[in-house]
Order: sequence, then structure tokens, then C-alpha cells
Amino acid sequence: MALVVSALGLVASACQQPVSSSKPPPPQDVEQPLMCEGTQPGTATLRLLTRTQYDNTLLDLLGDSSHPAQSFPPEHRVENFENNAETHQANPLLVEKYWGAARDVSARAVAERLESIAPCAEGASLACADSFLTNFGKRAFRRPMLPDEADAYRALYAKAEPTLGYPAAIGLLLEAMLQSPQFLYRVEAPIAATPETGAIPLGGFELASRLSYFLWNSMPDDELFRAVDALELSTPEGVEVQARRMLESPKARAMVSDFHRQWLDLDRFDGLARDDATLPVVDSQALTDAWKQSLLSYVDHVYWSGSGTIQELFNSDVLFVDPTLANLYGVAAPAEGTFAGVAQPGQRAGLLTQPALMALLSHADQSSPIQRGVFVRSQILCDPPDPPPPTVNNNPPDPDPSLTTRERFKVHTENVVCATCHQLIDPLGFGFENYDQFGRFRSVENQLPIDASGAIVDSPDPAIDGPFTTPFELTNRLGSSEAVLNCLTTHWYRFAMGRVETESDVCSLDQARTKFVATGGDLKELLVALTLTDAFLYRPAMLEGP
Amino acid sequence: MHTRTTRRRFLKGAGGVLVALPLLDSLRARAQEPAAPFPKRFVTMYNPNGTVHASWFPTGGETDFVLNEIHKPLEHHRDKLLIFQGVNATVTATGPGGPHQRGIGSLFTGHELLEGEFVDGCGSRAGWANGISIDQAIANQIGLDTPLKSLEIGVRAIEADVQARISYAGPGQPLPPMNDPTEVYERLFANFVSAPIDPDDPTDQRASVLDTVETQFDLLNRQLGAHDRQKLEQHLELVRDLERRLGSGTGEAGSCDTPVAPAVLDPNNENDMPAVMKAHLELLAVAFACDLTRVASLQISTGFNRIRFPWLDSLSEGHSLSHTGASDEESLAQLVARAKWHSEQLAYFMDLLAQIPEGDGSVLDNTAILWGNEVSVGNTHSLENIPYLIAGNAGGALATGRFASFEAASANDLLSAVANAYGIETETFGHPDYASAPLTGVLV
Repeated sequence: MALVVSALGLVASACQQPVSSSKPPPPQDVEQPLMCEGTQPGTATLRLLTRTQYDNTLLDLLGDSSHPAQSFPPEHRVENFENNAETHQANPLLVEKYWGAARDVSARAVAERLESIAPCAEGASLACADSFLTNFGKRAFRRPMLPDEADAYRALYAKAEPTLGYPAAIGLLLEAMLQSPQFLYRVEAPIAATPETGAIPLGGFELASRLSYFLWNSMPDDELFRAVDALELSTPEGVEVQARRMLESPKARAMVSDFHRQWLDLDRFDGLARDDATLPVVDSQALTDAWKQSLLSYVDHVYWSGSGTIQELFNSDVLFVDPTLANLYGVAAPAEGTFAGVAQPGQRAGLLTQPALMALLSHADQSSPIQRGVFVRSQILCDPPDPPPPTVNNNPPDPDPSLTTRERFKVHTENVVCATCHQLIDPLGFGFENYDQFGRFRSVENQLPIDASGAIVDSPDPAIDGPFTTPFELTNRLGSSEAVLNCLTTHWYRFAMGRVETESDVCSLDQARTKFVATGGDLKELLVALTLTDAFLYRPAMLEGP
Repeated sequence: MHTRTTRRRFLKGAGGVLVALPLLDSLRARAQEPAAPFPKRFVTMYNPNGTVHASWFPTGGETDFVLNEIHKPLEHHRDKLLIFQGVNATVTATGPGGPHQRGIGSLFTGHELLEGEFVDGCGSRAGWANGISIDQAIANQIGLDTPLKSLEIGVRAIEADVQARISYAGPGQPLPPMNDPTEVYERLFANFVSAPIDPDDPTDQRASVLDTVETQFDLLNRQLGAHDRQKLEQHLELVRDLERRLGSGTGEAGSCDTPVAPAVLDPNNENDMPAVMKAHLELLAVAFACDLTRVASLQISTGFNRIRFPWLDSLSEGHSLSHTGASDEESLAQLVARAKWHSEQLAYFMDLLAQIPEGDGSVLDNTAILWGNEVSVGNTHSLENIPYLIAGNAGGALATGRFASFEAASANDLLSAVANAYGIETETFGHPDYASAPLTGVLV
């Protein structure tokens, strides 16, 4: 089995370098374990809350479920993920939106929940405001508010309260807090009192936020704050206890859904058009919403109701339908507004054959073996093919009633120039020809039998290379491949760390991957393992003092 | 000075395009036109994937040119057009990124892309453009006194990475477009037209709140390393700018009644695209009329788009369609029809501006729209002879009514000429290695 850790092919170079400089280079034999001595810290940087994190945080902090961030400009996605620390940055529109949301949310909080967020028996007093700053402030900043920070808010209160009264003055404090950088950003590396050396354990509050914004996409809860105060996050064991506890929460399920929405690019469904003259006109937005929800329900089922393994993710025959989709796929419809799982043995085989993904990886009027092959190559095997030359006519051939889709793409294999790359793509994509542009299972196309045979060619995992005859054979092979497991580890790693891996992440990636393998491909164990990597627990030294 | 009554009469009597009723009301909402000298306005306009040269470039000479098929909808604005031939995107050939990434990043910045991790549809990697875009440079010159320095509008510009950004406040500082007309409307008319901050009113603590926020930035900054500090400094500057805009510069806006909101549309839905486009153009016209902003960018779609134009019976997906060969006549007809539709949108926008009186003329007289594309031809990614077009002469500064041919001119020299037209005194724009001097004959 080839040693493949990274999507970027970093491993070959990075792993042949001694990570600990005092050691000789490791042997070239790829079966040898990695040389990962000492602690390899990750990076620590300012992280602006994403829209999802902002809304979830407001809910946990204030009970505000208005989701104002849905109208914020979208984050800039890197490798499909929205939480990239470098590219998600402030811009004029976003700052305006923060301003508007802070005003709306604080007005609502004061009107509806003043008693719970800033109780004041006396009716109005500086002591009440102070207590608000101490108690609420710690939750808003996710660490205790510093004295000079509190002073600045106190000055605002003192200015506003005499004219506007206690509730409105508290509202202004809240409005200011929600626009303050201590709320909007996660600070991972406050400057050290003295210059540091080596790998530094992340501080308790910083680590609590890392855990909560990874596993919950939201702020820490009271139990996490308690664990910080009790210094329980200073050991990997303590972190593991919290991670396992947090995975029991519905917030973790929502996070897993969010990961798949981003990774699988499901937002691309918005505005997706799908044509078929034989179908009655359906509300396209309702259909795309249903597809999205169907896929997320499938993932949720595998993670939380099924075995929770990568094998099941790639092999389950379950399909989730609402009445719209039940009609489309010819299965019994559940009640309006609900999704129900139905087994479709012989028709579905895991994530890759989910109708939503098949529909997404299609053209409006036909399936797209090319998009499907490229997707498997890029997102499942982490081995993206080279781009086509620009002069290539990549407008798909028009549907032809006398040919199957597969036959129309013959030029790719008949033309030697095309074939060089397309032999890596098309034979993979042909494996999904049983699914049309609506994700419907089909055995014939244009009265001609579907040929879904193909081959995995020159993949990062030689053990899975070779011909196959059905999509079930293909996905089964992928689900048991170490390269696929490594690739999924990499996607989760990027999501957990909020950045793309570098050479210094090789050892942390391997820590997570090793545990993932050791637990038989248990997906939740992978999530726990990610929180216990060096990159998650440590940051580099700050060489400058205050 | 024109009065409100005159304006109303003018609008009612306006010939040419019939303006929808809510928009008429919106334009009437401009109670008072700005005082002379009238402000100049500037717009960048982008659509992707190159054009069909045989149907884009006029025939004939510099002044006796005849508009080609794609530009026919602009015939009645012929005197306001400046169509370029022989301008190459020289800077675009260099630096990291795939052709569509480099093309769009450099189009209005004249800069290469930074290294980065955005992956394009073909696997290339790049970061943001490494410089300010022409619209933002001009906004820094003419947009500091309006409630919004600029307005970034998108029409199905849905991806959120380098291929979906044409406007940059500075190196690596992209400005996201707003795709939903309802959000544009709310931004224009909810936040700023209402009362400006009143420092003498003790019940108006908006400034105090933002002052407190700014203090928190300063306090946190002291706890951070250099890299983090830079990020916060940029954010802090935006908060300061917001406070400034809320507090002042809203004088003209104060005289603008809030117009009727646009219909609720789905900015992602292909069937709504024409209506979304129209609503955006109308809102932008009102924003110019009310002097809420003087600068805008208009990004229509993105490089790797899959957009179809069902109302034109053009059902191929955009990027793929653009890669069809020169002999594929059916596809070329679709491409020409789409390009022509874009000309129609530009013409409609010009029609709108022409109906807002300003002095003896109209807002159109004080506006220029620079239209460009990230490649020249879709199926080759050619960077030679980029289809650049200027519509409007920016208060008589630009020599329009011409078909201007150059020999392998650099696009950066076109950008510097446009900068000059707005009072930016510079010899170059963008990366200086790809600039020599402003193109001759562009300015009057």
C-alpha cells in the first residue's frame, strides 16, 4: 500500500525529510513509519467567525435565532471550505452588515431578554453594568474581559445611561461588543509576556474555542468554560473527554452536515437547472432544496444512526426522500415536509451514487461522466487531473437519440492526445452511467443498454486499480481504499484547522489518519483524533515580546 | 437651477425607452440635483469568457465606423462609444493562476495575482490580485463625499473566490459584489438616507458605540503579533470609514426620498436573471441620481460559469459554450446572442442615465462605463485584442464616438488614461512593468 497522506503530493517530499533535524533521513521504503519526533505545532492566527459560526454564536450567547449572517457576503472559499483563516477577511460590506446586525440583535435582546442577560434588581446601577461586563463579557469574548476593555465599555455606559436609561445603555454595550474584534475574531495567539521557544500548548480559552468552533461551529458552553477554569484542557486526555462529550450534542450533527455542504459544494444547487421534456415542470428551487436535504440526511444517517464508518459512507443503499423526490424516484412518499430513508438495493451504493451528487455532477440535459470522473479523482482520491488545453471544445456533445452518453464521449479515448488525461477520468465517470442528470437509476438510455463498466487507472492506491463492471463494485473498492481514507482525512483536517495543510502538518495528518485506520475507519473517531493532533493542541512560539 | 417640477416634467416627456413606473417614482425622488460642477460617475462592467471578434469589432474607420452585430443595441448611443482594438492584456500573461483567474484579477487592476490557494476549474492555484482596481482608485478620487464610496453589484457572480471578484480596494483586498437587488436596495436606502449621526443629540449614541468599538480594536491590537495586527488594522479602518460615512457626507442623500423597493427576485435562478439585471441597473441609476455613490462595478457572472440564457433559447452552459470551435456556427450564434444581450443591458442603463437631468444635459453626460472581459476569445484564452469598450465620456473628458485602433497596446495604459479622465494624475496604472504612458487619443 502506498503511503499517501496529503492531497498535494507533499508527502513524497515532506516525509522523506527528517522532521526532527537531528535524525538521519528515513529510509526510502514507504512502508516505514514517519519520522515525527517532538511536537509539530500548527499555526495560530486571527480567525473571523464565518456566517454559520456567527449565527450559531448569537443563538448560544443570546438565544437569538434570527440568523442575520445569512445576508452577510459569503466567505472566500479555499478548497471548498469557508473557514479559511487567511481569505475570510473584513470588507466594507461586511462591516456594514456587522453594524446593522449588532443594532437589530441588541435591540431585540434588550426588549425580550434583558432579565436574563443583564439582570438588575436596583433598576439601574453601575454595579449591574459591571456585573454584565464580567459575566456576559466572558461569554461574548470567550475569555475573561480585561480591565482596560471593561473600562472602555463602562465609559460608554456612563455616557448613555443618564439620558437613555439602563436597558438602552445595556443595549449599546451589547451593540458595541458584537462589533468588537474580541467577539468577531477568535484570537489564538495573544502576545507572550516574554519571547518563547519551541511548541507552545494553546491556552485553555483558545483551545476551548478551537474545540467548539470545530465540533459545534459555535462558542464554548458552560461546561467547556468550567473545564478551562479547572485546567482540564491542559492534557490530551482532558481534551478527549470534552471532544467526546461534544460529539454527543446535536450541534455536532449540524457541524457534520455543514462540513458536507461545503466539501461537496452543495450550494451550487442554488440556481441549478435540470431539463427533461418528459418530466412535469417542478418547482426547481423545491427540487434543489430537496436534493440538498436528501444528501445531508444520508450523511447524517451514516454518521449518527448507522455504523459511522467510511465503508458505510461509500456503500449504504439507503436513499432519503421527501414527497417530491419520492415521486421522482418511484418510491413510497413520506408525509409532506418530511424525509424518510428507503433502501434501494441494486440501485444505490453510498455517497457517490446519492441522487443529489449525481444530479450535481451533470449537465442540464445529460449526465456528465467527465465531471463525475474529475470529482472522484479530485475529491475522493485527492489526485486531480491536469487541466485540458484551452483550445479543446469542452461543450458536451448534444444529446443524440441514437447513442448513449458513453458512446458520445468516444473521442476522448480515440484521440491519442485526449486519451492521455481522459483515461484517468472517463473510465471512472462511466461507472456512474446508471444515473441520469436527475440522479435517477437507469438501465437503458435511448433504448440502448447502459454500460457502466470502467476502470480505475493509475490511482494513488495501486491496490484499487483495475477494471470494474458496476457502480457497486467501483464504490465498494473506493470505500475500502487507503487512498480514499487518507483523502477524507485531509478534507476533515482542512476543515478542522481552517486552513490548507503545509509540509509541517504531515505528522499531525498522520496522527489523525493512523487513529482513523486503527478504529476501522470510524468517522467520529477521526473527529476526536483531529482534536488530539499536535497541530490542534500546539502553536508555534511567539518570537517577539509585548 | 432646475426645480423638482422641471424634473418631473422632463421625465414624463422623456422619449426613447419607456421607463417602468416604480423607477420613475424613484428618479422623481431626487428632489434636488447636485450643484454644478456636476459630479462625475464611473462604472466598470464585466462579463466572462471572451467574445466573438467577427461580431464585436466595428467595420470602417476611426470616426466613420459602423457598429457590428453585438453592438447594434447601442446604435442610438454611438456618439458616446469608444471601442478599442489592439489592446492586449499583457500583464495577464504572467504570475500565478489559471487563465480565467489571472484574466479577471488583472482586468481592472493591471496587476498579477498573488500566490494563494484558490483552485480554478482546471486545477491552477492563485490568490487575489496584487493591486487596487481602477474603479476603487477613481472612488478614492471622486467618491469620498458620498454615503457609499462605491457600490459593487453582481449578477449571478456567485462563486466566492478570485474568479468572482473584479473590484479591489488594494492589494489582496477584494470587494464582494451584491447579487440580490433587494439587498442593494436596503443598503442604499435603509442605512444611509435616514438621518445622519447628530453629535448634539444625546439620544443618538451611534458615534459613541463605534468609538467604543474602535477603542476595543486598539486594546486588542496591543495583544497581537504583527501579522494579526495588520488584519485588525484593515478592519479598524473600515469601522472608522463607516462612522465617517454615517456622520457626514449625506447631505445630498438627505434630499432623496426612499424609492419603491424592487420586486423580490431569486438572484440564483436563471429565469430571473433578466429581471435581476434590470433591477440592479435601475437601482444604480437611482443611486447616481441621488448622489448616494458615484462609482460602481457590475460583475455579470464568472469565468467558470454554467449559466444558460433560456430567454434567448441559449441553453448551453457558459464556460463550456465559450470553448466551442470557430466552425461551430450554432454555438457561435448563441455566443453572439448573449453578447448582444449584454449590449442591450448597457444601452438600457445609458437610457436611464440619459433621463436624469443634470444642468443642460443628463447624468449620462457625466458618466463613463468601462466594459471588459477576462479573455479575448473563449476557446483560446487569448489575451490579445481584449474587447474593451467605453460608454459615456465622463463630462467630456473622453474622446468618444470613435473606434480606436492600436498596435499591441497594453491594457494598463488604457486604465491609466481612464484614471486621467477622472483627475488622477498618473502616467501608469497597475504593474509598472506593463505600463508605459496613457494611451493617446483616449482623452479629449
